[in-house]
Amino acid sequence: MAPLKHLEMENPIIDACFRDFCSSHGILTVEDFLIHDLYELAAFAERQVDADRLKEGITVMLSLVEVKCRPWLNGMELLEDLQRNKQTLSSGDNGTDSLLQGGLREGQVTELVGPSSSGKTQFCMQAAASVAEKQEGSVFYIDTGNSFSARRIAQFICGSSAAAVLRKRVLSRISCHTVYDIYTMFDTLQGLEVALRSQMNVNECRLRLLVVDSISSLITPILGGSGSQGRALMVALGYLLKKLAHEHNIAVLVLLKFRGIGCVILLQSSFFLISPSVLKVTNYTVGAGENGKTKPALGETWKSIPHVRLMLSRDNRNNSCTISILKHTSMLSGQTVTRKDNQQCL
Amino acid sequence: MREHEAARDWIRSDETAKQMLSRVLGDRAFLLLPPLHRVPLRAGNVVEITGSSPTAKTQILIQAAIACILPKTWNGVHYGGLEKLVLFLDLDCRFDVMRLSDMLKHRLLEANRIGNGAWWQLEESSGVKNCRGAQDKSKSKSKIVYDEELYVSCMKRFLYLRCYDSLELLSSLKTLHYRIRLQEACGSQVGVLMIDSIGAFHWTDRLSSSLALDKNNRKSLSLTNVVETIVQEMKKLMRVHSLVVIATKATIYEEKYPTNENNRKLSSNNDKAQQPPFREFMPSSWQAFVTHKIFIRKSGDHHQSSGQQSLSAYSLEWLQPQLSSIDRFIVDDSGVVIVS
Repeated sequence: MAPLKHLEMENPIIDACFRDFCSSHGILTVEDFLIHDLYELAAFAERQVDADRLKEGITVMLSLVEVKCRPWLNGMELLEDLQRNKQTLSSGDNGTDSLLQGGLREGQVTELVGPSSSGKTQFCMQAAASVAEKQEGSVFYIDTGNSFSARRIAQFICGSSAAAVLRKRVLSRISCHTVYDIYTMFDTLQGLEVALRSQMNVNECRLRLLVVDSISSLITPILGGSGSQGRALMVALGYLLKKLAHEHNIAVLVLLKFRGIGCVILLQSSFFLISPSVLKVTNYTVGAGENGKTKPALGETWKSIPHVRLMLSRDNRNNSCTISILKHTSMLSGQTVTRKDNQQCL
Repeated sequence: MREHEAARDWIRSDETAKQMLSRVLGDRAFLLLPPLHRVPLRAGNVVEITGSSPTAKTQILIQAAIACILPKTWNGVHYGGLEKLVLFLDLDCRFDVMRLSDMLKHRLLEANRIGNGAWWQLEESSGVKNCRGAQDKSKSKSKIVYDEELYVSCMKRFLYLRCYDSLELLSSLKTLHYRIRLQEACGSQVGVLMIDSIGAFHWTDRLSSSLALDKNNRKSLSLTNVVETIVQEMKKLMRVHSLVVIATKATIYEEKYPTNENNRKLSSNNDKAQQPPFREFMPSSWQAFVTHKIFIRKSGDHHQSSGQQSLSAYSLEWLQPQLSSIDRFIVDDSGVVIVS
């Protein structure tokens, strides 16, 4: 909240008497200026001795606000920006790529939901390996649960003929950051934003993928209660991710664990037999949803944050893994693709 | 004599009732934007579409936008649009321009197919509809062509801006008047102002209100103040330009009421007071500003006859003005399609 006197150097009209007039109406910073009615202010200025100068000051303030605003883009300019800057990154798995019509899109936040040990972290690491190797972009991997494994990523870098030098180069493009609470997360992301903005044209190895594994462990500790702090921080984090994705042409992949129906499952013996993995309650926040349905771990507000929501579910009988689309900006939801488990990349 | 003349001039009418009606209907005409066609909208109306996520609210906005940016006729083909600008304020920051582009292309092809009368065939290659084609009539399989120039001129009528927080929103609204004037100088008129997700900054603004310093004489950036200023700026805009405002709102509290439609009908018959089916969280200044309200909820799956996978259907209900009929619709490639 910069006070008005900082503007005086470049705009001499915002002098002391203009600032006095403004503070008599309770306007001390530019943000205060935004929530006041300007016509009313101009009418008050009319009554003052130096009315013209004051009104000119108001006009200059308004033009400063306008300079800071983003320009309105028309449909053709949006399309051009999309086609030129925002490419589709392969996620490393052919099935997912065909489901998502190309893969992860730069400029979008993709969310991956799934119960514990359904392969979400494996998916992330495979995507990171694919982006680092095939698209030659760098990856910013934020790890909140110590599940990052460089060895596993090295396994995903395909080809037994991959030379050690190539492997080393690809792995050097992935940077891993451990973050255990939301304030460090804000710190890290804002530092990243500053670094990206000040970066000169380094076209090779520009940041293409940002992975957050997992975002629910950062947010669930602060949610809860009727206060708005937790949800406000969650929304602020979501918007920071969306801003990073759009302004710097990055694909953002976030992992989410969802709440299960722990107590209800134990009563239904049929479920007990078929999916024993559901009983692992260590990573869940157990809570009964309405009518026994699962509830998303971060609540209703988080549903408006990601562009694309994918659900990963595992069938232990067939050793297969199904990815389905819960929400997509330009595709029908409900489409699924199933793949067999594989130790190596496909 | 001159006093008589002056008095007579004063008594003489400016225009007849018929002239006035035709002028008002021309200036502020009724708009029928599908799928919101049940209630005709006029300039000055504020429509609020509420629904949880995901309930195809943005799809409805895109469909209404297409109806607005298309021209009435072009090269002899009737499109039935309003040929006006659409201002899209994206507060949700999730807008996908590919979806707009695909839906517009579908509309153009559809209108071309109906308009030309002949039976054209869309060429489908591996699931991707190939819309462009040569105008080579000697080939046995004719390909559809849509007018590229028309497509470009329509896309240029769609103006988009995204805001990442309330301050950006306020500064955009304050400077909007001048920008609209610049656009109107080029000859185009604004028809609709769309806001995607008006409650997007609700939580962050609520946090600012609890953290605000309580200094006298200084207006804090609290939730009520911000929304009041937004409403004030929009009212000023609507006084000068004739536009319709359509805003979507995502519910941020989980639905406490039964989601089953039958249950809701029974409960509404028993209750005398009309309870809204969602918990209202916008401040009263916004609620007073809204003139029309719509509520959308999921309503089970719709099984298509052609054997494709079932699509999820949604039901659209007008809360203000209260209509007894509920529209059910699905979303497919061409947009929002009303099913029943």
